[in-house]
Amino acid sequence: MGVLFLDIVTTAAILFTVASGLMIILGVMKLINFAHGAFLAIGGYAAFVTTQLGWNPWMAIPFAAVVGFVLGLVIERVIVRPLYARPLDAILATWGLGIVIGQVITIVFGREVQFVQSPLSGAIEFLGQSYSTYRLALVAIGAILALALIALLYFTRFGLNARAVIMNEDLARGLGIDSTRVRLTTFGLGAALASMAGALITPLISVDPNLGLPWLINSFMLVLVSGVSIPGLIVASLILGGAQVLVSSYVSAILGGLTIVVLAAVILRIRPQGLFSG
Amino acid sequence: MPRRRSDIRTVLKFGIVALAVLAVAPFFLDIYVVNILIRALLLAALALTVDLLWGYTGILTFGQSAFFGIGAYACALVFTHWGFGAQWALLALFLGIVAACAVAALAGWLAFYHGASPLYGSIVTLALPIIVTQVIFAGGRTTGSSSGLSGFPTYYWSSETWFWIAGVFLVVITGLAWLFVRSDMGRVLVAIRENETRCAYLGIPVSRIKILLLVIAGTIGAIAGFGYAAFTNVVAPELGGFLLGTELLIWVALGGRGTLIGPVIGAILIDVTSSYLSGSLPFYWKLLIGVLFVAVIVALPQGLLPEVTRLWRRLIGRRTRMADAPTLEPITAQEVGRGTGQPLVVRGVHRHFGSLQVLQGIDFEANRGELLSLVGPNGAGKTTLIRCLADGYERSGGTITIFGRNLGKWGPDRCVALGIGRKFQAANIFATLSVAECLRVARYRLDPPSIWASGTTLRLPEAALRIVEETGLAQSLNTEARHLAHGQKQALELAMVLALEPSIVLLDEPTAGLTRVERERIGAILTSLTERERLSILLVEHDLDFVREISSRVIVLHQGQIVLDGSVEEVVGSELVRNIYAGASLDAGSGPT
Repeated sequence: MGVLFLDIVTTAAILFTVASGLMIILGVMKLINFAHGAFLAIGGYAAFVTTQLGWNPWMAIPFAAVVGFVLGLVIERVIVRPLYARPLDAILATWGLGIVIGQVITIVFGREVQFVQSPLSGAIEFLGQSYSTYRLALVAIGAILALALIALLYFTRFGLNARAVIMNEDLARGLGIDSTRVRLTTFGLGAALASMAGALITPLISVDPNLGLPWLINSFMLVLVSGVSIPGLIVASLILGGAQVLVSSYVSAILGGLTIVVLAAVILRIRPQGLFSG
Repeated sequence: MPRRRSDIRTVLKFGIVALAVLAVAPFFLDIYVVNILIRALLLAALALTVDLLWGYTGILTFGQSAFFGIGAYACALVFTHWGFGAQWALLALFLGIVAACAVAALAGWLAFYHGASPLYGSIVTLALPIIVTQVIFAGGRTTGSSSGLSGFPTYYWSSETWFWIAGVFLVVITGLAWLFVRSDMGRVLVAIRENETRCAYLGIPVSRIKILLLVIAGTIGAIAGFGYAAFTNVVAPELGGFLLGTELLIWVALGGRGTLIGPVIGAILIDVTSSYLSGSLPFYWKLLIGVLFVAVIVALPQGLLPEVTRLWRRLIGRRTRMADAPTLEPITAQEVGRGTGQPLVVRGVHRHFGSLQVLQGIDFEANRGELLSLVGPNGAGKTTLIRCLADGYERSGGTITIFGRNLGKWGPDRCVALGIGRKFQAANIFATLSVAECLRVARYRLDPPSIWASGTTLRLPEAALRIVEETGLAQSLNTEARHLAHGQKQALELAMVLALEPSIVLLDEPTAGLTRVERERIGAILTSLTERERLSILLVEHDLDFVREISSRVIVLHQGQIVLDGSVEEVVGSELVRNIYAGASLDAGSGPT
């Protein structure tokens, strides 16, 4: 029972961490970034490079974030900006971008599966169970991330501007907020978060150019179910992640892979605006 | 049956040429190329269904591969586990189609409902291939799990034979689809893509059409998948997977969405080249396609085929041939839904958004031959009231009866069937359809459109026809609606609403932004509609002079309540109305809190 509980909590934390970058971009820019999976892969390879260079494995996280941020800025400027008025086309263009990134990674690193050194190894006793230290650490990291995002949105100038753009972009622009800049920063931030998440999950999974795909679809579903809010995403990660763990443990691992997609489609049919939206 | 002959002739001409090319192609092509082409031809049929859904109807689908997979696995499973032979092949094809139809109907029912966002439809289509793949994985030995099934008995015909089967299938499907998208029904699909809301308020059952289209697309996909499995003798979960679903989108986008031929050519060219280069340059080729795809989406959203045709036309100096405009035929309006008793009775209608009361305790009725104006300052709830009358889902409570029939909780398409026609505030038309096509789409309920031809006559009730003729629209029947002047757009939408032959017409500021001449013309038409045809018209209007000239009764709304309901003179002379417009507040006792 204890293991199941820990599985649910750690799975939810991982899902939250992975989906947060996608949510920031959707929330502020009303844009679904289908290159999210590719940014996860970028983070994974940043961790791989860190391992190859023999750096401290923890360095993978800031390194991935910086790489993601810079790439995000460039991509927003070149590809995303012309597509603001065409949301469905933006999905396609960012998906195409994901293919490009995936192929570039393949050309540089090869398509074979790689492994990354974990910053924490082994297991510790927790709640009377012996449990993976790194998975537990991810819960702490997820919690810190959630707090940091809330702080960013509610206690900084950028957050104030971003919230103004979320509520009424035209009005925000009229009040002198540079919404283009807010969008640019947001995309960079979303890409950095995705990339960081990629670096964080790779010690649990192997690294390959397409590692992001299953995460992309699950994140997409979670963000929509969350109603695009940070508490909503936490709840959605717990509910859907929990359901996934339960189905995987008690029914079948294969059907477990379906749980998030199917449940999300049903929840969104009943509550199109997501769980936490008025 | 009226039809445009040239379309059928075009299809026959190109169909025969295509079949002739297919007939001789295997004798000139390398056997390796023929084998690759068989697969590409079948996938091109699948890409065609994506174009029907996305290019024409605006449903961004990731899920067409699922139907391909269903058809392929129906073949592989029956041949592997049950038996092989003509009757088994037919059974497998039948089961594949039935399964695909059932899945499509279920997905469509889930994805398309009144008020669904286009994104939700895409989410459902995104889930489809994932579910299909996981089900195949879960099938264990029966479905071969991740390695799929192979080596089952099949018809070991020569590659040429398979090539011809796939080729004929593609040509037939393309020809039929070509007739379909150019038919009047095909225009309805474009209308749904351009403006789904307007379609619903024209009484078009949008969700049902989308579901049916998905079922048809699923059937074609399953047949193509069946053919693929029978030819290659190998099936794998990837056939029904998400990646193939996105590849289809890439082919359609590059070829040119909404062109049918572009996606077919795109699918064949890209798939054949991919197979060719998969040995030598796989990564660079895929990289190139990715870059091209992004560039096309960003810079050339209509894809490459329209650019190529434009270039070709410029080279040979030929202009696009315009189809003949249909002949307009006047008919006498039936006044949909008309019965005995009062046209419109509204009792206790209220509407709130969360805790915000926008309308409360609205009681009034409208009589035949009455032009009832709704006036009130901004935010009084006028447009909300119109919305509640035209869409049964809108109101939070209260009853609305139309000629004694309860409006209930029905969507706008059912409200049209009860006799309600609604004109929106801003001109709400189908930008890329011609004037004649817009009007024909509006006739959907009363003159069901043909699914394979385009009518040569267009029947319009006299009132609509009068607008079309008096505003000069009759001279521009072939003009795309987006090129019309503002006043003509407004007139076109009014004509579309009157083409519904409504017995109650709801007009939200029909004269906004019109010149004085245009305004007088609309006023005359409205007056004659109420006086000669005895329609009930509900008008929301800010121009009080206009209201005074044409209304037979006026209702004043203020802060979500009716504060006055009387003749023009009563309202004009009212102190209360003057106070409301002057911004003075009502008595504390009578005002809403």
